[in-house]
Amino acid sequence: MSRAGSSCPGCGSANIERDDLYAQTQLVCVDCGYVVAEGSLNHEPGGGSGTSDVSYRRTTSAAKKPCVNLRKGLQRVTAICRILRVTREVEDLSQTYYTRAYQHENFLNVSLEKKEVLAACSVLVSCRLHDWPITLTTISCLLDADPAAVGAVFKEMVSVLNISVPVFSITDVIEAHSQEYKISSQHVPEELAEDYRALTKRAVALVELAADAWIVSGRKHIPIMMAAIYLAWQSLKPIKQRLKFTLDKFCQIAKVNKQRPALTRIIEMKEMLCKLGKEIPWVTEAVNPSNVVQLMEDILKHRYALLRRAMRTQKALLEEEQDSGDDSVTEETAPVKIPELTEHTQSTSSGQQCEQNTERANVLGTVPELHSNTQENQDPAPNWGKRLLFAPPCVIHAKIRRVERTELKDVTGDEEISDSEIDSYIRTPREAREFALAQKTLSSSEK
Amino acid sequence: MDSSNDDALDIIITNVVATFRTRCHLNLRTIALEGINVIYKPELGKVLMKLRKPKITASIWSSGKIICTGATSEDEAKLGARRLARCLQKLGFKVRFSAFKVVNVLAVCSMPFAVHLIDFTKNNRPIASYEPELHPAAMYRIKHLKATVQVFSTGSVTVTGPNVQNVATAVEQIYPLLFECRKPLCKS
Repeated sequence: MSRAGSSCPGCGSANIERDDLYAQTQLVCVDCGYVVAEGSLNHEPGGGSGTSDVSYRRTTSAAKKPCVNLRKGLQRVTAICRILRVTREVEDLSQTYYTRAYQHENFLNVSLEKKEVLAACSVLVSCRLHDWPITLTTISCLLDADPAAVGAVFKEMVSVLNISVPVFSITDVIEAHSQEYKISSQHVPEELAEDYRALTKRAVALVELAADAWIVSGRKHIPIMMAAIYLAWQSLKPIKQRLKFTLDKFCQIAKVNKQRPALTRIIEMKEMLCKLGKEIPWVTEAVNPSNVVQLMEDILKHRYALLRRAMRTQKALLEEEQDSGDDSVTEETAPVKIPELTEHTQSTSSGQQCEQNTERANVLGTVPELHSNTQENQDPAPNWGKRLLFAPPCVIHAKIRRVERTELKDVTGDEEISDSEIDSYIRTPREAREFALAQKTLSSSEK
Repeated sequence: MDSSNDDALDIIITNVVATFRTRCHLNLRTIALEGINVIYKPELGKVLMKLRKPKITASIWSSGKIICTGATSEDEAKLGARRLARCLQKLGFKVRFSAFKVVNVLAVCSMPFAVHLIDFTKNNRPIASYEPELHPAAMYRIKHLKATVQVFSTGSVTVTGPNVQNVATAVEQIYPLLFECRKPLCKS
């Protein structure tokens, strides 16, 4: 470009161009090559006297661009989102959360490992907020990190950023989980293949039933889902080949990692199915865990009706037990302890309550009033487990608390019984009958 | 006095933690060599002394601070602490029993109904938190009582608080909230 107002002293042309020789700026005439002007060697590109005018604040101010680790973290967040194939909104939200959490004092000086876990947790939080079903275990598998560590960071992040995260129930997650199992017709031979939609539907029904039977509550989700999917797969086509497949082999062909607790869950689920399978009216042979898989379709289809029938059978069984039970303890505590403090006693005293209020017998969790019978040392919990069709294992195998049995030792049977206590003794129905009988025989013998 | 709910609920105190000071320096080696039922932990700098009756385990530091755990009531904790101070006196230290304080009380309680934890968490959003993948219980923190309640889906509840009164109040407070979210009787 030619500069206005300057001409070459050598040839007089106005065609002067700026040509830099290394670090030196020069104004050169195009026609004759005359160097019209040249700058100093250490000339600042911004302007001539730039060096002396830079303020102290400008030289010492920190660069306003985001820190390297934050950028890397955001890239990691994006990568995780792409792997999980979440929506755009979830990705944006997780990036926002990550930036906010990163800059909070709790997370500013932590190790890089923890920052990576934080990236995964921000993805998890935004998935949860958008109802995208993903488990903590999946995320920790993705990162190859310890689930406990991921859980701790997750909790801290949620409390620090004050987010209220909705809780997922297992039925929300099961569909996403079942897609991991590679047993569609492209992966395995036709005999073993199953469409994931049918599989999911049956597994969900099984899990809902298991939730009623206290198999789901308080347990980790993944072994339950694995057990449900395995049983659903077997029952969708209960041919010999499938029934022979163990959980190990199934996990091998589906290319998932086997979970040890899943074996126990399978046993529990089969027990539950047996209890319901017994109620099916058109099944004549005995139902046991080996042949219950074939009946599973029917059981799941009519599960509510079968549940009701099973509960009624259970109630009838209990009432039979009560009738055949022995001496029952009266409601008022006698000073001398009647030594028949067996479970029958307990069941009849609670049975009396049952008769008064039939609803309570079927409650999935009533504990009878202990305090009226302060001398009772029996814990009613094992009885609750027996009284109901399904009860949580902590109740069926209840820990019997060691109570101080000093009162028992003191009672010898030779205590003084005052007149008022004698008068207040009320006969039990059986005693009343026997008394009446005795009176009759006495009066007849007198005659 | 108490609400009728309390009559039906059996709150069992399983652990009471108390601390006190002996106002004198204690030689841990002497205690370890001459004391009975003691375990010396030099890497942690303390001695564990276990009493038979009441059943209490005490951690004794050389500064004279002692923490007693394992009691089942506040009185038992005080009794055990005094007995411990007496044991130390017999070993030859000029012990003075001071600054006794019950620091933590752990109690368990069983509700007569099962609880639906997801509903419970939804109803009490910021105060209650529930992560089924991490821990099977929902945690409810009562700030003004400084008590933490852990609710399990079977209806069992564990409460930790600074003293027995707070624990009882916490159970009273949480009972109506749990009653709202109880699991329905028979699903048909």
